[in-house]
Amino acid sequence: MFAKQVMDKRFHFLHPKQSVVEAIRLFKTAGEKEGKKVFGMMVIDDDDRLVGMLSMFDILLYIQPKHIGILGEMEDISPEPLFESLLSRIKKIRVEDLMSTTLVSVKPDTHLLVVMDIMIRKHVRRLPVVENNRVIGILYRSDLFHLLMGKLIDDGNS
Amino acid sequence: MTGTADIMPVFKHRSVISGITVKEAMQRQVVQLPIDTPVTQCVRTIIKFKANAVMVTGPDQTPAGVISKTDIIGAFYAGLSLGTPISDIMVAPPLFCEVQDTLETAIDQMQKNSIHQIYVSSEKKNHVVGQVAYSDIVGLLYRYCRACIRSGRCLTDMETKEIPRLMVKDVMTSGANVCRASDPITQVIEILSGRKLGAVLVSDHSNQTLGIISKTDLVLSYIRGIPLDEPAGSIMNTPVAICLVDTLLSDAIQKMFLFDIHRIFVKKTDKGPVMGVLSLSDATRFRSGTCRACAAARILDNS
Repeated sequence: MFAKQVMDKRFHFLHPKQSVVEAIRLFKTAGEKEGKKVFGMMVIDDDDRLVGMLSMFDILLYIQPKHIGILGEMEDISPEPLFESLLSRIKKIRVEDLMSTTLVSVKPDTHLLVVMDIMIRKHVRRLPVVENNRVIGILYRSDLFHLLMGKLIDDGNS
Repeated sequence: MTGTADIMPVFKHRSVISGITVKEAMQRQVVQLPIDTPVTQCVRTIIKFKANAVMVTGPDQTPAGVISKTDIIGAFYAGLSLGTPISDIMVAPPLFCEVQDTLETAIDQMQKNSIHQIYVSSEKKNHVVGQVAYSDIVGLLYRYCRACIRSGRCLTDMETKEIPRLMVKDVMTSGANVCRASDPITQVIEILSGRKLGAVLVSDHSNQTLGIISKTDLVLSYIRGIPLDEPAGSIMNTPVAICLVDTLLSDAIQKMFLFDIHRIFVKKTDKGPVMGVLSLSDATRFRSGTCRACAAARILDNS
């Protein structure tokens, strides 16, 4: 089996110039539409080229106070004022400022075993499928897992 | 004739950080970029990792220079294109201290060269093992204070009152630099670079504080393509982080760490004018923890 047989052709994406606040909103609405949690999205420019990936991790990394480790135990610290301050700061930040630009993608004809190997070695949850510099689909680790493991369960039952 | 030095006892200056090495305060993660990286990507890296400076590496991965927000603001002021490689505006060579150096040596080196962070090398020359900034040093001191049995977290209010603690007023720098909301960005840059500041307050014509412009706001304005003649008010940030002059130094430092800010403006009363500023570098220069008892205790421990 190949990537093109498993990839999801319906995918949600972000634009590099969108604000991070808008991206967070889109994570939520995309998750509601798909009926599953969306942990990250592809970033695609005006020419349909993949230019980055933005994940919840990238956003959390940004809002986390840089020196949080030195505080040690934090039970006596109220988080509310902290979040108010963070929200005012993140308003100016765009998707292109935080997105990861070191990209890993596969072609439609990439074998599923290669896809699985990339997902394991690179610790990626989602892999864009790119053809002629344009994104045509996306592979999710959870979809691949359920596809492969589903067969295992079915075979076991029979 | 016997010289004064022979008959007078010599007192070595001691501070809370005496004897602590760079290794204990340094951060091991160093943000690095190749020499041909365009300025835009460098700014995005600075924003993403909340770094004040980035180490620039040559083709063989060796340190070639350093680029700070100040250098990028210089490029903005000079009207350089965003595609300019960072090698054109970096400062070389980067400054190093060694892992086993004392923090006092590192602070002296930073102050002498007017820099806010210094890279740390191992005994092997040109091998970068970390970096240490003013915030790391204050962080180390604050960590001691927070875990201390004499800290406000461990004692009752009554017991806490008996310990002479440092206040913001003991450490702050009086006065604050201000620009008008209508001033062009060029003027803000001139104030910041001319007076070697990290941020400037923005006020209206009745001297009411409206917001603040930091170096981060300026580098963001650069990559957003905002013209230099735009008014300061269009790029300022609100609200301004404020504390009162009688706030405990430890509380002010905690606020700066939690909010990821390098300075906090000081007022006498909530409604009063800004009378000073407390920065992490002020706290570092003070070379003390947040409690007067601590200095004496550490000197006794050491002896």
